[in-house]
Amino acid sequence: MARRAKVEVTRRRAGLSSLEPIDTTPFRVAASPGFIWLTVALVWLFSLLPWRVWQPAPDLLLLVIAYWCLNEPGRIGMLTAFSFGLLMDVHDGSLLGVHALTYTLAAYGTLMLSRRLRRFNSVVQCLHMLPVFVIAKSASRLIEGWLAGEWLGWSWLWSAFLMALLWPLVDVLLQMPQRRHEEGDGGAV
Amino acid sequence: MQENGSLKLFKHGPTAEVRLFALAFLALALLVVDARWATLEPVRQGVSVLLYPFQRIMLAPRDGVERVKGWIDAANEMHIEKEAIQRQRIELAQMATHAAQLAAENEQLRRLLNVPDTVTQPSIAVEVLFEPTSAFNHHLVFNKGSSSGIQPGMPVIDEGGVVGQIVRVTPFTSEAALITDDKLSIPVQLLRNGLRLIAFGGGADGKMEVRYLTAGADIQPDDELVTSGIGGLFPAGLSVAQVDSVHRDSATGFAMALASPLAHPERHRHFLVLQVDVEAARRHKEALNGEAGGLR
Repeated sequence: MARRAKVEVTRRRAGLSSLEPIDTTPFRVAASPGFIWLTVALVWLFSLLPWRVWQPAPDLLLLVIAYWCLNEPGRIGMLTAFSFGLLMDVHDGSLLGVHALTYTLAAYGTLMLSRRLRRFNSVVQCLHMLPVFVIAKSASRLIEGWLAGEWLGWSWLWSAFLMALLWPLVDVLLQMPQRRHEEGDGGAV
Repeated sequence: MQENGSLKLFKHGPTAEVRLFALAFLALALLVVDARWATLEPVRQGVSVLLYPFQRIMLAPRDGVERVKGWIDAANEMHIEKEAIQRQRIELAQMATHAAQLAAENEQLRRLLNVPDTVTQPSIAVEVLFEPTSAFNHHLVFNKGSSSGIQPGMPVIDEGGVVGQIVRVTPFTSEAALITDDKLSIPVQLLRNGLRLIAFGGGADGKMEVRYLTAGADIQPDDELVTSGIGGLFPAGLSVAQVDSVHRDSATGFAMALASPLAHPERHRHFLVLQVDVEAARRHKEALNGEAGGLR
């Protein structure tokens, strides 16, 4: 068996076909737009529930938007982030623009780092995302604190930490449909 | 700047930096305008009308569970309620005779003093929809809005007394600031001696503060604060809070008292919004120019 395989390989090497990759399917299949918008919409609906009353709760909507900014920048960008931020502002009854600013900054940070981020796996990516989340959140917190005239402490930092920690999990979950597709193709080849 | 990868992205549009500055500037402008003026209220109302069906859909499972729980517990609850009502009935019967005497006496006195009768206040029962997630304020969102006749400025009460005041209204929802919110102040009176004061929301720890007292003011722990009716928004005689402690500062000559609210908005889901004449109160306030009263 092994010998026959070896012969096969040497025969292939001899020909021009050796220049072609063995597996011609792309490494990562683009996510379908339907899936992207569905995940964003579901997480947005989930964010309307009262679990975010707990101060260090991670902002899952921001996490998913940042994730798609990295992986599908053609579909989800700063404008989407801004719009969903505004929706969250109205829902929370906070000053208009607080979430919008955070989401826009996080989306920009992710887009800026995207070239670098795509070279790493999700665990290294989450180390990169932590400062993005912290900076994005601190900007709106500073302005909110300035306008309200009081500083509300640092509990939001936990939120950023938790979001960074959840990044690999989000990566696994949101890449699942694309992965299954790859495996299916791989089996056929 | 955007060399590869993202270049494809922005071929037809502005670069990422331009987008960032435009959107961040817009967000900052919204923040500042919303913090200082009320010009963005129509925008907020429009968006909140769009949001309302989604909010209701997401809260539907919770409401459903509570309804089912209500059905299951109905017999038990009714039993408990019946006992409570029986007890209350006996207590109230005693109070009613006492109140009838007082009412007759009061009417007589009013006639003597030529004071017009107090009118009963129309009200709307509302239910809490959710508690907005904002660390800067203590608010509740109710399930009825301007379409039911609720207006900003109306007081919200429960059986314990004043809960808060409506601060923002959309067609189907309304948002109330609790009396512990630091933007709210209520004209009050000590029940014991009638001393007129202003109670302020104390911020985070769920207390109210009574400020601007002279050091010699006759106020003691356990004194009850009721609304004084000054300002026109809060009807007189609603209980507000009970004084916990009084701090007298001999250096400045002023005293400050801390009080705990008597209403417990965290224990109930149903409240009453009193339909006071907000416009008349506002005109009255403008005429008096600077008398203490509710909103900011």
